[in-house]
Amino acid sequence: MITVVAGPCGAGKTTWILQELAQMPTPAVYVTPGVGTVPIDATRVTARFPKVEIFHRQPETELLQRLSAGIPVYFELGFQLETDIPLLENRPHRRVALVAQENRDAGWQLWANAVIQGNQSTLDLQAAQMWRAPLSGQVFDPPSLDTFWQELTQGAYGEVHRAKGIFELADGQAFHFDFVNSLPGSAYTELNLPRWVQGRPNRFSGIEVVGQGLDEGAIATTLKDCYLSDSLLASYQASLQDSHSLEVA
Amino acid sequence: MNIAVLSCIHGNLEALEAVLREIDQQDVDQIYCLGDLVGYGPYPNEVVARIRALNIPTCQGCWDEDIVDGLNACDCSYPSLLAETRGHRAHEWTNREVTLETRTYLASLPLILQQENLCFVHGSPHSQHEYLLPDTSAFVALERVLFTGADTLFCGHTHIPYVRHLENSHLTLKVASPSTQSPTYSSNTPSSLKHIINAGSVGEPRHGRPNATYVIYNTDAQQVKLREVEYDFTKTCAAILEKGLPAIFAWRLSKGLEYAEKADDPTHVCER
Repeated sequence: MITVVAGPCGAGKTTWILQELAQMPTPAVYVTPGVGTVPIDATRVTARFPKVEIFHRQPETELLQRLSAGIPVYFELGFQLETDIPLLENRPHRRVALVAQENRDAGWQLWANAVIQGNQSTLDLQAAQMWRAPLSGQVFDPPSLDTFWQELTQGAYGEVHRAKGIFELADGQAFHFDFVNSLPGSAYTELNLPRWVQGRPNRFSGIEVVGQGLDEGAIATTLKDCYLSDSLLASYQASLQDSHSLEVA
Repeated sequence: MNIAVLSCIHGNLEALEAVLREIDQQDVDQIYCLGDLVGYGPYPNEVVARIRALNIPTCQGCWDEDIVDGLNACDCSYPSLLAETRGHRAHEWTNREVTLETRTYLASLPLILQQENLCFVHGSPHSQHEYLLPDTSAFVALERVLFTGADTLFCGHTHIPYVRHLENSHLTLKVASPSTQSPTYSSNTPSSLKHIINAGSVGEPRHGRPNATYVIYNTDAQQVKLREVEYDFTKTCAAILEKGLPAIFAWRLSKGLEYAEKADDPTHVCER
């Protein structure tokens, strides 16, 4: 069975899918088209459910094989994508829309089989801007990243409606940062991934920002100012290994 | 006698002028300044010229020292890589901007000013770079006041104003020793109550509003007023952009978030 999940920016689509996955036995498939080289949601899903298969650039034929094997498929449509998907034509599927009461209109009611209460979105789609950047291999100084994130979400680089990212920190942990402007504060979740304590992490990290009037150059420059240099990273990792040795001893 | 105490103007002439206008209406006999006349803000030379023109007794701040001696801050001065990078950019800009006359004046400033039982410093009596925070350990805080011999210590550097009373001014120090007779050192102070008064920041506030802060102190009644003054911060923000300082400085100023960042470790005592 295919479940297609759609909704406005920041409505809570991935969170809803994670709740669904938690209630069903694996295997399952998660599909996120249109994310290019920045698969933040897919990485979040994998970290929580390592056995869920992720599709975002594989051939359609492989996905059809999973479907014919009866594996449940969750298809998340980003707010910027069309809801008509050729693959789904003539295939049974259910359509779930995550929409706040304030954002409900006839379009969502007509499209969806089920409308679920989501977070409110105030994004003007005509003026919306999306900025994404892969950050793989970059490790962040935690207090610098904290300052950057506060500035970003409070409007220092333009009006931000939605921001999410996966960041590698100096102590080897990877964190998911999540901001929706209709919700208070940001959510910071440590991903269930092994600590990377030797050299630069060879796994995905990245950022996505959606808003209006974004100063993309300033965002990119400030992020770079938060990166650890090779020497600082080596120094952090050496002290981590020292403290680990002391604990073992 | 009423005194006004200013600190951390950071090249923000608009804020300084607003505070001086308010002081004019407050029956103040003397103004003192706790330093950091320059750094981050767009008008370092103009701020120094104004303070000099008014003959305001001023002690040297950490930024004033760094412009004179070059960046020589201790490791604890920057709470993050981002703050350090921004601090260096501000330093390079200010260093290019200041005139020889300004630099000479900053070099001439004393580290400590004393007026009867009042003492004035930028950070602490030990260093312009040391933070005396409201929750600095009482032992350390009291030691810093006793070191000066004064009853009331005025400081700045934290950019958040506060008043702290240190009631237990009898210090007893036991030194652990392998010998059976451990020596004990005691210090009785002439007054049983000491005070630390932080003047906040005129030009770079960090209390969540863009308003300038300073202090008025009545020496007879020992009464403290923490003053907050509204001014047209958008003029300073525009000047920051016009003069080529990083745009984020203007944004942070407009939010009352300081241009740099808050020191992360409130219990840290600088040993520089």
